[in-house]
Amino acid sequence: MPTVTVLEQSCKGVEDCGICTFVCPASLFSASEKMNTAGYVPPQILNQEKCTGCRNCMIYCPDFSIVVQKNADGSNSVEEKEEDE
Amino acid sequence: MSEIMHPLRMKYTREHVKKTTNCPGCGNGIIVQAILRAIDELGMDMDEFAFVSGIGCSAWIPSPLFNADTLHTTHGRPIAFATGVKLGKPELNVVVASGDGDLAAIGGNHLIHAARRNIGITVILVNNGIYAMTGGQTAPTTPRGVNTTTNPYGTLESVFDISSLVLAAGAPFVARWTTYHPRQITSSLKKAFTSRGFSFIEIISQCPVQYGKVTKSGSALDLLKHYKKDSIKIDKARTMDPESLKGKIVVGEFVNEQKPELSAEWTELKARVMEGRS
Repeated sequence: MPTVTVLEQSCKGVEDCGICTFVCPASLFSASEKMNTAGYVPPQILNQEKCTGCRNCMIYCPDFSIVVQKNADGSNSVEEKEEDE
Repeated sequence: MSEIMHPLRMKYTREHVKKTTNCPGCGNGIIVQAILRAIDELGMDMDEFAFVSGIGCSAWIPSPLFNADTLHTTHGRPIAFATGVKLGKPELNVVVASGDGDLAAIGGNHLIHAARRNIGITVILVNNGIYAMTGGQTAPTTPRGVNTTTNPYGTLESVFDISSLVLAAGAPFVARWTTYHPRQITSSLKKAFTSRGFSFIEIISQCPVQYGKVTKSGSALDLLKHYKKDSIKIDKARTMDPESLKGKIVVGEFVNEQKPELSAEWTELKARVMEGRS
């Protein structure tokens, strides 16, 4: 299972940005109840075991705030899917 | 948790730049990653690049973030600076990343002539459809009829189709994508970085803070949803009539061909003339 990490300090918030909540095909992201020092509410990831490893969140995040790490053996659980139109 | 860092951030950005300069939800950040991913996938080094940008929100894409040679130049003139860099150091991969107000409005003349000359630089034009940094004024790329700060009752002017302009000026590589297509941007950038001629990539990007607010188009997500819904690939668009293409964004690689490149021609000319002298 891929590991998804939210780097909360550099996140600019689900309320103002929230691109991760839109691009995740499994809709795993939602607003957390925390707030970072800049006053933004970073996302939380629920049901991470449902992550398909598509890396959309990492690729779309405008602030380098999401890192998707591959499986322990270095492979993605699912092949990267080309987003189209 | 703090030990984990974004691999592209770690490898290609300056350590002392702690935060990106973009507003929340801005498309510039998506483009930053798309550029760095293209460099990473090609296995190139940042020392092979010189990034040139002008004035505006999108000019903050390479400067000061990228750990490479970056030139932050005067308003509208990044292509003029980049032409100088390329002719002086033809071995460098010179990349201009700037906005529509910078490259298409004030610097429009530089853009069309760089395309005509086929100088071997890559131009990334981030089109957010408005003058965002100065407060949401009407730009040449603002769609007709929307309300802006300077046109509170709707704009009366037609929108500038920049990719078609550059195509008509003779650029050998022209592509247009939106920020909903970061993987495709990376793929086009890889072609641009490895090709010799003038490469132009227009990226339609969301500006939730100015464009979204003054034109009442909504949040970053609303704009991304619009890009997802209304983008049409160029192959499909060629078969459609202009009426049904209204309000759609035609995306894809418009042209990819080989033409004689200016800096190579200059080097050749110099060698020929010097040979005659000795």
